[in-house]
Amino acid sequence: MFIKSSILAGINCIKQCTILSKSALIHTSVILRKAEDRKEMLASLPAKDEGTAGEKSVDIDTLFNRRAKSFPDATTATKLFNGIPFNELPICNIRVSPNNTIISVTDYKGVPRLIRSCGIEGFKNTRKGTNIAAQATAVTIGAKAVELGWKTIRVKVRGLGPGRMSAIKGLQMGGLNIVSVTDNTPVSWNPPRPRKQRSL
Amino acid sequence: MRHAQFIARTVFVHNNNVEEACRLLNRILGKEEIFDQFRRTRFYEKPYQVRRRVNFEKCKAIYNEDMNRKIQFVLRKNRVDPFPGCN
Repeated sequence: MFIKSSILAGINCIKQCTILSKSALIHTSVILRKAEDRKEMLASLPAKDEGTAGEKSVDIDTLFNRRAKSFPDATTATKLFNGIPFNELPICNIRVSPNNTIISVTDYKGVPRLIRSCGIEGFKNTRKGTNIAAQATAVTIGAKAVELGWKTIRVKVRGLGPGRMSAIKGLQMGGLNIVSVTDNTPVSWNPPRPRKQRSL
Repeated sequence: MRHAQFIARTVFVHNNNVEEACRLLNRILGKEEIFDQFRRTRFYEKPYQVRRRVNFEKCKAIYNEDMNRKIQFVLRKNRVDPFPGCN
């Protein structure tokens, strides 16, 4: 009887010990705990869509299509696309940012003819910065460009954001024939000092 | 960086397959660390952050080099045709 009670007492002691060791996880400082919570939350969130699909992964299918000529060379400028030389095709500029997407269509000299953004399209506030908004905008501007008689275009993309990929897809859905995709993101290795970091 | 327009960073679209062209472009820009630099310069990186990042990258490069060597060692083949029946 005595032995049994002593064993029980021992178990209780161990239980208390484990509780005590758990108390090491309890923070007395509220701010530290908050920062940790935020980190955990950000880690558990799905990755933000920046329209850069394929940046880190390699598709095996694409490796087989290497024989097709994908990059421009000296003869590209005069190559005919739908009867128009490459350097006289109208240009579609897409300006992507995390909060908005602005699409403009210019002729080959760079004179703008059409301009449309997610905000003009009727999306407001955070909804502007979604891939759906970008696609809808691209579809309408694509249809308008077709009305102008510009069916074959080249695309210039600038910046990173959710609309990067979907805007190009939307242009195609709007009835345009896209010849080439160019990246025009301004990147500098010795930029002027950027704005200060966001406080999280 | 200024480049000739529509020569640099340009990819042609084949068979109306826009997505694949975009992926090719993104992969190249990602590998050349152009996107990384763009993201890094959105906000000012304090000198201590630069030091930390550079040191981390150095350590990672050393680790990757050694790990690749190890993998190559484990995968080594000692026969005339290393992968019989594969070509």
